[in-house]
Amino acid sequence: MENHLNQAQKAIHLGIPRSAYVHIPFCRRRCYYCDFPVSIVGDNNRGDTSGTISQYVQLLCREIAITPASKQLLKTIFFGGGTPSLLSINQLTQILKALDQQFGISEDAEISMEIDPGTFDLNQIQSYRAAGVKRVSLGVQAFQPELLQVCGRSHTVEDIWKSVEMIQSVGIPDFSLDLISGLPHQSIEQWQESLDAIIAIAPTHISIYDLTIEPVTAFGRYYQPGVQPLPTDDATAQMYCQARQVLTAAGYQHYEISNYAKPGHQCQHNRVYWENRPYYGFGMGATSYVQGQRFTRPRKTKEYYQWVQDFITAGGVLDFPQTPPDEVLLETLMLGLRLQEGVSLSFLAQLFGKETLKQIWTCLQPYYRQGWVEIVTIDSQSVVWCDLQQVPLQGRIRLTDPQGFLFSNVVLAALFSHLAEVG
Amino acid sequence: MTDVPAERIRNFSIIAHIDHGKSTLADRLLQTTGTVDVRQMKEQFLDNMDLERERGITIKLQAARMNYTAKDGQQYVLNLIDTPGHVDFSYEVSRSLAACEGALLVVDASQGVEAQTLANVYLALDNNLEIIPVLNKIDLPGAEPERVVGEIEEIIGLDCSGAILASAKEGIGIDEILETIVERVPPPQDTVGEPLRALIFDSYYDSYRGVIVYFRVMDGTVKKGDRIRLMASRKEFDIDELGVLSPTQKQVNELHAGEVGYLAAAIKAVTDARVGDTITLATKPATTALPGYTEAKPMVFCGMFPIDADQFEDLRDALEKLKLNDAALQYEPETSSAMGFGFRCGFLGLLHMEIVQERLEREYNLDLIITAPSVVYQVTTVKGEVLYVDNPSRLPSPNEREKIEEPYVQVDMITPEAYVGTLMELCQNRRGVFKDMKYLAQGRTTVTYELPLAEVVTDFFDQMKSRSRGYASMEYHLIGYRENPLVRLDIQINSDPVDSLAMIVHRDKAYNMGRAMAEKLKELIPRHQFKVPIQATIGSKVIASEQIPALRKDVLAKCYGGDISRKKKLLQKQAKGKKRMKSVGTVDVPQEAFMAVLRLDQQS
Repeated sequence: MENHLNQAQKAIHLGIPRSAYVHIPFCRRRCYYCDFPVSIVGDNNRGDTSGTISQYVQLLCREIAITPASKQLLKTIFFGGGTPSLLSINQLTQILKALDQQFGISEDAEISMEIDPGTFDLNQIQSYRAAGVKRVSLGVQAFQPELLQVCGRSHTVEDIWKSVEMIQSVGIPDFSLDLISGLPHQSIEQWQESLDAIIAIAPTHISIYDLTIEPVTAFGRYYQPGVQPLPTDDATAQMYCQARQVLTAAGYQHYEISNYAKPGHQCQHNRVYWENRPYYGFGMGATSYVQGQRFTRPRKTKEYYQWVQDFITAGGVLDFPQTPPDEVLLETLMLGLRLQEGVSLSFLAQLFGKETLKQIWTCLQPYYRQGWVEIVTIDSQSVVWCDLQQVPLQGRIRLTDPQGFLFSNVVLAALFSHLAEVG
Repeated sequence: MTDVPAERIRNFSIIAHIDHGKSTLADRLLQTTGTVDVRQMKEQFLDNMDLERERGITIKLQAARMNYTAKDGQQYVLNLIDTPGHVDFSYEVSRSLAACEGALLVVDASQGVEAQTLANVYLALDNNLEIIPVLNKIDLPGAEPERVVGEIEEIIGLDCSGAILASAKEGIGIDEILETIVERVPPPQDTVGEPLRALIFDSYYDSYRGVIVYFRVMDGTVKKGDRIRLMASRKEFDIDELGVLSPTQKQVNELHAGEVGYLAAAIKAVTDARVGDTITLATKPATTALPGYTEAKPMVFCGMFPIDADQFEDLRDALEKLKLNDAALQYEPETSSAMGFGFRCGFLGLLHMEIVQERLEREYNLDLIITAPSVVYQVTTVKGEVLYVDNPSRLPSPNEREKIEEPYVQVDMITPEAYVGTLMELCQNRRGVFKDMKYLAQGRTTVTYELPLAEVVTDFFDQMKSRSRGYASMEYHLIGYRENPLVRLDIQINSDPVDSLAMIVHRDKAYNMGRAMAEKLKELIPRHQFKVPIQATIGSKVIASEQIPALRKDVLAKCYGGDISRKKKLLQKQAKGKKRMKSVGTVDVPQEAFMAVLRLDQQS
């Protein structure tokens, strides 16, 4: 495999990042399903009035300023959280300025921001837009007061509608909504109701997340997957298919396992992850993938502060192992097969060698026969029938929608097991 | 090595229950006599297998020669012959006791006599050993030496007036123990003039020197270079190396009656020099062998199958190597329709089975599926033939068999009175026949049952321990075969009969067992993309059925920049889990499922 770490692979794997993720960990409270690195500031602390947030923004800017840069401009920037909409306009500008000074931001860069209903007003959203934010992602999760309460969300259904109205009045080019399926006590009818509401709003992008019960969350303590009051696996699989049907009928492309977009409105930043390209990461708990080093910063405030100090002392040099080539292969497959268009076969052969491609095909044949995996033309427009005896070298390999997507872990685990054996 | 006359040799062993401090005492004796200096002392010198140290039990026995200058000013040689501390190895225990004239009976002064100790004391008495009671852990706040002395006198009928109060940990009573060994353990008989007879009490395989044999010279003299004959195996060898254990091997030229030592003679496998065999000289052989030799017979059987069929040859090699060092291990190839090629293996007991399994997995890196343990059934066919069936799937069909007999054991348990009820209930549930119950001193009781061995080799020991909160102890020995109405319970997964899950059970328990098995398998087998029915059947009659619902989804909802490493690990774990499963037809069955019978809630 070492030999296969050729020029093409190096160019992608070790290339210069054109994307930056910025983590804003602050939240008014912690939602019951959330295991993200967040820092709770309560309902009345925000923006410039919060010493904690100001201090964090200072530190974040120092981290940005010490990070080695090149002349390549940033094409995407993503403010994730936490609740980035707790930032004041000054703070946001400060961070963007730091990024621009260090790396430069391309004119047409996609600058995304996660915002939560009830945390911003019209003035604020206008200022964000003026500062360059082109895409907002509104964390809605559900349209039923009782479900919002079950999740421990800090906003109301009314807040959602108000937020939507504000966003639409400002005319932000890209507007995304998040929904969660499989919530405790959630019925198929409620799910349909949420889908109807979202269609009525008609955002350019929609993320649909099947609830994952993480062990160290309130949900993890109270609930067991598939057991009351959580819907059964049958019900959540049905919700997944229902969403797909409703949204594709409304003109959305199901471009990733959990993501839908109107043509031309896919999230460019997130595509960087799925294409396994490099990206910068800044802030508490943020992961970066630079020079083949996939590194996650400390998830706790104090430890992150200490880490930044050490990073500065080290002169911005990160001492962390590079992802080895066989792992790069697994990551490329694990991420690429999340996309509707899958992964290009010639690209795989070029990066990892024809022998590896043969192994992938050998492993995936049973799933091909089962209809979970298919081969399509390079433009993803039509399905290609292939001879099982012959390794396809052209076009793309992808998971089918919805069956292949629904069982993607089965397919990936098989690939992991098979490739670990032959590797 | 100085040549010590027989009257200044003392050969002894230590009898103790697990945790009563045998190893610590042995260490302390080695230290006090200067056999091992403090610097080289690793804890528990005599237990030299990792597994032994991890579990605090002795599996393979060891020996050590100590020089001790007694109060009478004379120098003595004390040979400590260690005994394994588990019921599976009682034959080895009996042979090492036969090599001694005395034994220290070590009892925890805060606990009392346990069943295993009792069994070994009786073995020692059978061998006419002088027994010296030692009450250990006397420094603990809970120590009650009077109560425990009372118990020893009452249960064993041993005079405890000379009992030594000791704490091996604190070094209390060690000198007194050494002095008492010299005083009370009789010296070996001086039979140097007679033809050589030496008793093998242990042996192990060394890849450079062949089998290393541990022995006690009973009569005569043995020299380096002698041509020896093993009277049971009838094989002859030339001694390359002769020595004593102090406790590391030290070469000598000659050993005479009364002495303990080791030899190497390019012996290829321990089966050629089994424990209990008699060594004599080829040129001047003894007329009769020493008494008590038997070949240890396996009592418990199971199937061992490599998860990856490619590892079959590796498994064969590994078993061959283990066999070199383990005369009691038996194996023969077995083919199962569900599991493919593997081996049917026989063991002395459950612990022995576990040890072999662990060594195969740890030392030989094999991924194995082990089927539930079975015993040997004696089946009489309608034609009057008698078959021995150690594999439930080989049981002849009902119309071909006249009767089935199964091995019975007598189980002796010693328990605090409070747990008698629950232990009797356990025995009753396991088809036990009550034999006897005796109240001992201070609320302790012995309970004796006769039980089918098949009921004991499952989780009986664990159940006994958990029901008595760890306070009860047990010992068992085979008492013969008895006829019972037994049937074969088959399991079908997704309509495929799985021969490795077949079991022989009592007719009256078949229904409950079948139901419990089906429920357990439903719990253990992961969901598949299709429904998986599980059925328990007797002949063509279905007695229990369950269904594993189909898997509807297995997908990671979110995978962004910060999730990649963690999600990759999850998938790697899932991939690894899949590799540890065996495909039965189109169903992946995890390893644990084949041992499911051991984890059934038998009360249901």
